[in-house]
Amino acid sequence: MKPQEGERERDQDEQQQEEREEEQQYEQALHPVIADLCYHLSRTPSLASSSRNEGDAAQDHRPSSDAGADADAKNAAPRSKRPGLPLPVAAIRVLLDVIRRSRAETMMGLQADLRDASDVMIAFAKRGGPVPIAATTSAAPSTKYLLANRSHIALSSSCELFLNHVTRSSSHLETATPHFQSQLLERGTRFVEFSLSSRDRISSVASPFVREGTTVLTHGRSKVVEAVLLRAARVEKKRFNVIVLEGRPDAGGAKTAKAYDEAGIPTAVVLDAAMGYVMEKVKVDMVLVGAEGVVENGGVVNKMGTFALGVLAKELGVPFYVAAESYKFTRLYPLNNADLPEMGKLDGGGLAFLDTLSWSVNSSSGSKGGQGKEEKKTEAGEDGSLNACADLSSYVVNLSPSVSVGNPPCDFTPAKYITLLFTDLGVLTPSAVSDELIRLYQ
Amino acid sequence: GGDTGGGDSFPAGCDAGSINFPPHYYQRRDDLRQSVMEAIQEMMSELEDLHKNINEQATQHIHAGEIILTYALSKTVGLFLKAAAAKKRKFQVIVCEGAPHFGGHAMAKELAEAGIDTTVIHDAATFAIMARVNKVLLPAHAVLANGGLIAPSGSNMVALAAKQNSVPVVTVAGMFKLCPMYPHEGQDTLNDLISPSAVVDYGLIGDPVLSEVEFVNPVHDYIKPELIDLYVTNIGGFQPSYIYRLLAEYYHGDDWEAFE
Repeated sequence: MKPQEGERERDQDEQQQEEREEEQQYEQALHPVIADLCYHLSRTPSLASSSRNEGDAAQDHRPSSDAGADADAKNAAPRSKRPGLPLPVAAIRVLLDVIRRSRAETMMGLQADLRDASDVMIAFAKRGGPVPIAATTSAAPSTKYLLANRSHIALSSSCELFLNHVTRSSSHLETATPHFQSQLLERGTRFVEFSLSSRDRISSVASPFVREGTTVLTHGRSKVVEAVLLRAARVEKKRFNVIVLEGRPDAGGAKTAKAYDEAGIPTAVVLDAAMGYVMEKVKVDMVLVGAEGVVENGGVVNKMGTFALGVLAKELGVPFYVAAESYKFTRLYPLNNADLPEMGKLDGGGLAFLDTLSWSVNSSSGSKGGQGKEEKKTEAGEDGSLNACADLSSYVVNLSPSVSVGNPPCDFTPAKYITLLFTDLGVLTPSAVSDELIRLYQ
Repeated sequence: GGDTGGGDSFPAGCDAGSINFPPHYYQRRDDLRQSVMEAIQEMMSELEDLHKNINEQATQHIHAGEIILTYALSKTVGLFLKAAAAKKRKFQVIVCEGAPHFGGHAMAKELAEAGIDTTVIHDAATFAIMARVNKVLLPAHAVLANGGLIAPSGSNMVALAAKQNSVPVVTVAGMFKLCPMYPHEGQDTLNDLISPSAVVDYGLIGDPVLSEVEFVNPVHDYIKPELIDLYVTNIGGFQPSYIYRLLAEYYHGDDWEAFE
């Protein structure tokens, strides 16, 4: 045991050293609010509470998708592989820090500070989360996109909710007392804890819908959906199959497939384009997806491909369920996909889907997914995996600049294609969403 | 402390220490018994006036010259139709016989005795007749939280045929049938398979060929909310998409878990 422990300690030291260096890099180049956000995004809740936020309540919930890992494994694992806080919760943590640091003496001043901070974060997210890092391999510093392929909707809605929460709390508090900051912090921290535990609540209302012997189709990489299915398999001990759409261009689906396989759920990964074929062929019993945002009419914004999946499910009579936390509820009202706000726009090379497929799906039967080579960036993609393949040339297509290549990360699925939403407020029909929104924002 | 008359509410063998009730459960309330009795009285009067309140809406939904289709035997639907007839509306009713219990026969007799022009059809003829029907009236066993309906077995077929022919489906039900459950189990929600003796003669079970065959006799059908157009209840008419709002008025959030 001892050599392992020693290694773990050394790993931890190295890791902390790395973290400190990266922090410095972040802080040099970035607005302090963004630096904070990056910090929170990459830390697991337990680490975050020990090092940074002494004021935070010590009882942080781990996201339930970590249910299988124990604390030691979490500390020892390389930082890039461990999931951090969900983006909206990290943002709220940042806002709590803003309250702590704020020198405003009135409610108006504090709200102005909070609003500035959330505007900065939302603008950051809209640009795809560009973080300049001094690359070690090449001479020129390049940009890493922390929030590529994500929508800023959840971030802005959770900031909005938090601001509302602060405003509402303040009407009960006397602004001039010295205790008001700590009271606000206490309420804010409870808000964070409520949000962190929402995944557990969602998985407990949603897992009864996963029935024994059924086949579930899912799309994209949603921690909430993972929590639901893993609970149905591990806690409720049900036997069911999962079909995962691979989820180009970030291989989100393929990554979740690993998690399901580790839990012993029979999993299949198929091409995104195969969604219709597989729904009929394998007789899918339900579709379950997560959401980037839930809009006022009960529709959802989610990874590109969800709209097609929804229409298809309706046509084939398959129930379409969405699992989302309540802080993703936003006061947008898009009528169709043309109404979606611009999101995650990346300049230049980002995640153009033709050339940055830096993963391959290998199963023991030898079937391989598409393989690509990163042409523009020398550092690894989000997952840190860079696959070099002997024969890449047949997979890489070089187009002239006159061909526009578009890759918006999200699309909008209208409410009429959604059967039910599983949220931490309970199971909701799409028509109930607007009621809950009103209640949340009151 | 306080009143220990409620001790019977704990299931036998249940460890009282393991249940955590909120603090106000343990406070003394002088008006406790009075409030509970009033609430029960309210429920009883709602149930007593049930059919009266539902039937007040009969003439809003049943018009002269209409052909109404209903399924098998239901007291609520029967009273609804008779109330409309009592207000001198002239309409026709087609009753599906509702195999294997054949409740439709008794229903037709009742309606005919009230002077309503009634026809009995067998269940398989439903789709063929649907093109001539103006409205479908269905009874309810339970109304689910998503607006879905649990109705006698065979009603789903009627609702599907109605959807295909763009015939409005109206369900007549008291609000006490509202249930904070979701159809987790699809057609098996709140359902039972009863003895198939009504479906196949018991003496034939020994037959070498028939013994390989499975005979199912479900009591209820689950009908999706998209197939129902209106719920006529003692507190008014509602769309299935509105049912979730009524749940909050009838059930406390704490009681929902009892249904899971």
